[in-house]
Amino acid sequence: MSDHRKSFVAVGILCVVCSLLITAASNGLRGYQLRNMNLDRQKNLLRSVGLIDDQRKYLADEIESLYRNNIRSFYVDSDGRIIEVSGQTAGRLPIYLYMHEDEIIAYIVPIDARGLWGRINGYLAIDSDGTTITGFTVYKHQETPGLGGEIERRWFQKNFEGKKIVDQEGSFVSVGIARGLVEDRVPEERQIHYVDGISGATLTGRYLEASLKDILMEYEPVSVRFRKQMPLEPVD
Amino acid sequence: MKLTSNKTFKTFTDPLWQNNPISIQVLGICSALAVTVQLNTAVVMALALTFVISFSNLTVSILRNSIPSNVRIIFELSIISTLVIIADQVLQAFLYDISRQLSVFVGLIITNCIVMGRAETFAMSNPPLRSFADGLGNGLGYGGVLVLVAFFRELLGSGKLFGFDIIPQAFYTAGYENMGFMLLAPAAFIIIGLLVWLQKTIMDK
Repeated sequence: MSDHRKSFVAVGILCVVCSLLITAASNGLRGYQLRNMNLDRQKNLLRSVGLIDDQRKYLADEIESLYRNNIRSFYVDSDGRIIEVSGQTAGRLPIYLYMHEDEIIAYIVPIDARGLWGRINGYLAIDSDGTTITGFTVYKHQETPGLGGEIERRWFQKNFEGKKIVDQEGSFVSVGIARGLVEDRVPEERQIHYVDGISGATLTGRYLEASLKDILMEYEPVSVRFRKQMPLEPVD
Repeated sequence: MKLTSNKTFKTFTDPLWQNNPISIQVLGICSALAVTVQLNTAVVMALALTFVISFSNLTVSILRNSIPSNVRIIFELSIISTLVIIADQVLQAFLYDISRQLSVFVGLIITNCIVMGRAETFAMSNPPLRSFADGLGNGLGYGGVLVLVAFFRELLGSGKLFGFDIIPQAFYTAGYENMGFMLLAPAAFIIIGLLVWLQKTIMDK
């Protein structure tokens, strides 16, 4: 066998062996990884409504039971009514409700936003007054660590708490991300609609801001119902 | 023959001090800056790298006579990347939070020059057991420095060790403040620099 052919055969065998090993590792551990991801998602959802204490470590079971006891999953139809759907979900938006003894304390909107390098997934929780943000969290993103990646840090997410998505006249304005500190960049009367930006991550901020606006716009029908305290259940 | 004069044993201990990959050869600095803000991540990173480097050395050494020399770098890289991906998958399955914090840096072990360097310069020309010992030694030599740097950065930067508060509350009330600088990457440079200085001074004596 010539040297060239020998090299090709050897590399071929190497490729097969390596791919088998990687496939085995990835498939064998898939179950554990999915559970971890699911737990992380639930933890972020709970954090957005303030049910997670950042100083404390939680066991998997604790998170699952917190989630089970407080959060319920529904859909929103085009009129902004909250419905339970089994099966067909086209045209309906998923929504989570933070319930305490049959009373809705906040509603949580899943965020699937555009980022600089990929999608940004997280949750935005809004108080049952339909105007005040109670929390924002991110559980998945591909932004640059140290720059856009700061969106997963608590300092950035805490910014959102208490911000309003409607102005004083009651019309929808969404929430913006300032280019720098809010107190330097935004006129005082509008500061309540802005959060501090991340330096070195102008584009991440711009895209996230635009996506948040689009998403909140889609959920406006249900937000309006919360704001005006209109009935949430469909009337048959 | 005594254990300490054994050649394999010497291969293992040499990179721990005499020929440390970070403080003497000054390799693999990038990850040393990135993952040493906390001890947790530093320890996990050290273990992951030790795993990768010892087994890549072992595999390369076993195959060294059948690897065609014109494609040997491809061979070494494929073996290393396979091990790195396996390590990454295991971390994602069992140490999810830490693996999130380490983010890209586990994947970047592939480009860590210590791993590649040992495979190319040592494992290609030495028997399996000694190559394994060499990998173990280099991994732990790297890990040792990492843990040491992380110890200072976490203690001075956030007043904690392994996430537990160490500096008593009374200190803070008395006006003590955490050194925010220690949380930034340049702090690792300075600590590594001081460690190199210290080690050279001791070795010169």
